[in-house]
Amino acid sequence: MNSPVLLGEVALGAPALAALLLVVFPWARRRRAPAAGLTIASSLVAAAAAAKLVIDRTGGAPDVRVTIPWLPAQGHTLAEVGLQLDGVSVVMLLVVTVVALCVQVFSLEYMRDETARSYGRYFAYHALFLFSMNLLVLAPNLLQLFAGWELVGVTSYLLIGFYFARPSAARAAVKAFWMTKLADMGFLFALLVLFASTGSFDWTVAASPQVATAVTALLFIAVVGKSAQFPLHVWLPDAMEGPTPVSALLHAATMVAAGVYMLVRADPLFARAPATRDLMLWVGAGTAAFAALLALVQTDIKRVLAYSTCSQLGLMVAAIGAGSAFAGFFHLGTHAFFKALLFLAAGSVIHAVHSNELGAMGGLRRRMPLTSAVFVVGALSLSGVPGFAGFASKDLVLASVEGKAGWVPWVLLMASAFLTALYMGRVLVKAFLGPPSEAAAHAHEPGFSMTGPLVLLAVPAVFAGLLGGWLARSLGADYHLHLGLTPVVASAAAVLGLGAAVFVFGGAGRRVPWAAALEYFDRGAFVDRGWESLYRQVLLRVSGWARWVDRYLVDGVINALGWGTLEVGTTVRPLQTGRTRDYVFAVMVGALVLAWLGGWR
Amino acid sequence: MSTHLLSLVVAAPAVAAALLLLLPRQARLATRWVSLCGALTSLAGALVVAWSWDKAKGGFQFLEDYPLVPSLGIHIKLAADGWSVALLLLTGLIIVTGVLASWKVDRRDKEFFILLLVLVSGVFGVFVSQDLFVFFLLYEIAVLPMYLLIGIWGSSHEVPPAGPFRFVWKRFAVGSREYAAMKLTLMLLVGSAAILVAMFVLWSHSGARTFDLQALQAVAFSRSTQMLVFPLVWLGFGTLAGVFPFHTWSPDGHASAPTAVSMLHAGVLMKLGAFGVMRVGMVLAPDAAVAWAPVVGGVAVVNILYGALCAASQTDLKYVIAYSSVSHMGVVMLGAATLNAAGWNGAVYQMFAHGIMTGLFFALVGLVYERAHTRTIARMGGFAHAMPAVAVCFTLASLSSLGLPGTAGFVAEFLVFLGAATTRFPWWTVPGVLGAFVTAVYVLRAAKTIFWGPLPTGEFAHLEDARGTEWGAPLVLGAALVLFGLWPRLLLDFIDVTSAAFLQRLPLLADALR
Repeated sequence: MNSPVLLGEVALGAPALAALLLVVFPWARRRRAPAAGLTIASSLVAAAAAAKLVIDRTGGAPDVRVTIPWLPAQGHTLAEVGLQLDGVSVVMLLVVTVVALCVQVFSLEYMRDETARSYGRYFAYHALFLFSMNLLVLAPNLLQLFAGWELVGVTSYLLIGFYFARPSAARAAVKAFWMTKLADMGFLFALLVLFASTGSFDWTVAASPQVATAVTALLFIAVVGKSAQFPLHVWLPDAMEGPTPVSALLHAATMVAAGVYMLVRADPLFARAPATRDLMLWVGAGTAAFAALLALVQTDIKRVLAYSTCSQLGLMVAAIGAGSAFAGFFHLGTHAFFKALLFLAAGSVIHAVHSNELGAMGGLRRRMPLTSAVFVVGALSLSGVPGFAGFASKDLVLASVEGKAGWVPWVLLMASAFLTALYMGRVLVKAFLGPPSEAAAHAHEPGFSMTGPLVLLAVPAVFAGLLGGWLARSLGADYHLHLGLTPVVASAAAVLGLGAAVFVFGGAGRRVPWAAALEYFDRGAFVDRGWESLYRQVLLRVSGWARWVDRYLVDGVINALGWGTLEVGTTVRPLQTGRTRDYVFAVMVGALVLAWLGGWR
Repeated sequence: MSTHLLSLVVAAPAVAAALLLLLPRQARLATRWVSLCGALTSLAGALVVAWSWDKAKGGFQFLEDYPLVPSLGIHIKLAADGWSVALLLLTGLIIVTGVLASWKVDRRDKEFFILLLVLVSGVFGVFVSQDLFVFFLLYEIAVLPMYLLIGIWGSSHEVPPAGPFRFVWKRFAVGSREYAAMKLTLMLLVGSAAILVAMFVLWSHSGARTFDLQALQAVAFSRSTQMLVFPLVWLGFGTLAGVFPFHTWSPDGHASAPTAVSMLHAGVLMKLGAFGVMRVGMVLAPDAAVAWAPVVGGVAVVNILYGALCAASQTDLKYVIAYSSVSHMGVVMLGAATLNAAGWNGAVYQMFAHGIMTGLFFALVGLVYERAHTRTIARMGGFAHAMPAVAVCFTLASLSSLGLPGTAGFVAEFLVFLGAATTRFPWWTVPGVLGAFVTAVYVLRAAKTIFWGPLPTGEFAHLEDARGTEWGAPLVLGAALVLFGLWPRLLLDFIDVTSAAFLQRLPLLADALR
């Protein structure tokens, strides 16, 4: 047993063990300390293992891949599971475990008002999530990646529906699962097509261009669902029904980024499918701009951040579509930190003012200076202000689409960068500047277990951008800073956007009319409603027909057969009269007939 | 190693039933314990079989042979192959949990347990019988007690007359338990008649005048014989496997049956049908199986999608689960129709996985019904507050049902779809995967409506979680779903040996559909 494999197993096994113990021993799950302690300890162990792996990797450790047979057929191995430890997976593992750890520590205080039972359940879900996510990250092939993919989907479903007594949360959970499951059919078909034509589930397999195009297109459908790209993004804003730390971990930093992670992993396949890449470029750029517009009109701070996540994921997808998986992956990493930071800071605000509505906030900078400061850091990073992590990775993304498809994606992404700064500026103005609202006047800074993770996450939100060169070496990509059109325009867009926000939203709450029209298009009339009518008008209607056909037609034929048998029986029953003379008469007739047939003829 | 191991597994429940006959009616607790001991003996025997079955050797192990009617070549010949191992374990798990779930049966409980145990002996027997005649005999023993079990201990559900055949409704009281029992029995008997014909055709055309399955397997039946036998076997056993359009006994039957009977019937008995199609039809008539495979597979995908769609608009919880069985048995039949190793492994694995899953479902539905006294989904809500364990297990069963990785359902469905994707008919996977999606829609909607939502008030204010023996089914079957989902080779290694042996012995079959 060599050391990297052991570390990988620890990263995978620690949260699995915590989840198992919490499931098997209800007494642990129903008390606060053991549940939270087990989960956080397991995350700490996993994060330590990930850190060791990354350090070893920097010291020149080679790629490791171990597999064991999982599904046999005719004595051969049909499918394997195992661990793949290379530049991409260990960095992702570190990002995931560190963010998860921060979120879990933050939750200690944030979730304190829950009953002990709910508290334990919450942490058990977290342990299960981290196991599933690590399973996905360390997957050596697409099959195991799919398994982790589906499992994180379930934990997402469970965590969105955490407040299951609330009908809106229950609905949002089921909706999220259905929408992503709908898209996941693409993943399943991709696996089937890949296996049927190459006999393998590996992303490195030498597939023909046709096969690669089919497989990648199908995979991309799954990404559109998981990473909330247009038009399957509608579940993500609703997913904000879950507890805010969950939104930070699953629906911003890690799980939704799994789609992008899969694109990075399967890049060898995508490299053979230029058509799919073009599609990704357009979908990503379109979603980035579209979602950024929608973020501008949200009144709920979490929904602003949710749409912002859609938009940023669009950025990553576009970069990978433009052929720069490294840019996408880099942005995934920095985004994980600053978006988790923003969500947790928002959680801290919500915890203090007991409302998600921006209107209920205002002037928080005085009452909550630390939270305000880290939120500003996150917002500047997200907006791509030079010097922050977000700038470095976003610049790389923008540079990767330079000149592609007649500059249209570049323009869309630039516009989204401007809009990002604008909507983040709006949140800053509304929540932290200006006069405090009634609720905000009594707000106060949370305790250490909530502020600690905030400060911890603020560090990479500023400095993670400096790791670009290191990351590129670790991944074997080429990376060099450049000064040209893109960084200048991007910096200008960020600064202008933030400035414009103060100018536009500084006064009374003004709404942007065209953005409101877009909101109507998205939620009121077309996209969201479209999926709903697909469900109600198509699925349920067809299902109703099937039910009718089965009950009254198929079953009816069976019943009619039974009825017919009985009717025939009833009809011929009078022949059995029970009177001797009838039978003697019948015997005579029979004898005559036989005689006629036999001899008299 | 005892050579009477399989007899022990098969006979233990019947012996327990015989002991029950000697017990006085008042000995209620003794009745239950004797039943449980009989079931546990079988399960323990099945575990020993699994433990000591030699995977390197393969073939038929633990052979026992007792002449029954030597002049006609009829023997009681028992042996276990890899498929049997998986199905014996399934049956053992379901009967033990089924007895535990029946702890509270109070009407004529002695007779109930006697019939249940006799039925299970028949099921165990079918899975290990190597003589076609005895196979058929035990098959009937497994099927017929259902008539009494549903007719006496069942429940009724009114169905309003409608449609072109509504004039028939007057005569049959559609939806009543008597109707369900009668329909189930008659339809399965028609199926049996077809099997009987096929059996005698095989017997007379074998030249050897034998019912021995392995001897018959060595006979090369003429193509015309095979083409006659296969459809008879497919429809005969297929009726029990819920093959469209002969599935309609199943929703009414399962919905009307008492909890343990639904568990056994959907969990194990339907597998007898699929097992028969594969073990008798496909192995003995391989040429015809190849010729008929497009039809078998085509009908199977109808089953999957149609069953799921029907389930999606049911209002009665038991009907939802019953139609989901129709859908999931389609997966088994699709796997069988692929005629390749992945598909066959998947088919047998799905028999196991669906058996465990649907057993769990029916146990939980029984639990909920006992407390809420309703099966109408729309009337329920917020039950997770009072019965969290039931909610968790129901969710687990739902996830296995929709084929979530990490549960046994995924392994089975994925293998079957892989098998189908590598045949000449890769489009089979499309309705198959769509069916899995529709399953996600209806099971999660049901789970949401029943268990989530505000704290219930009024009639549902005093619900309680599982207690005592009621924990048996949720714990055992829930754990099995996860265990066999994470580590499928526990069973697949057995199943694969036998699938490979059958496919290897019949080179025509292997990759015939490439």
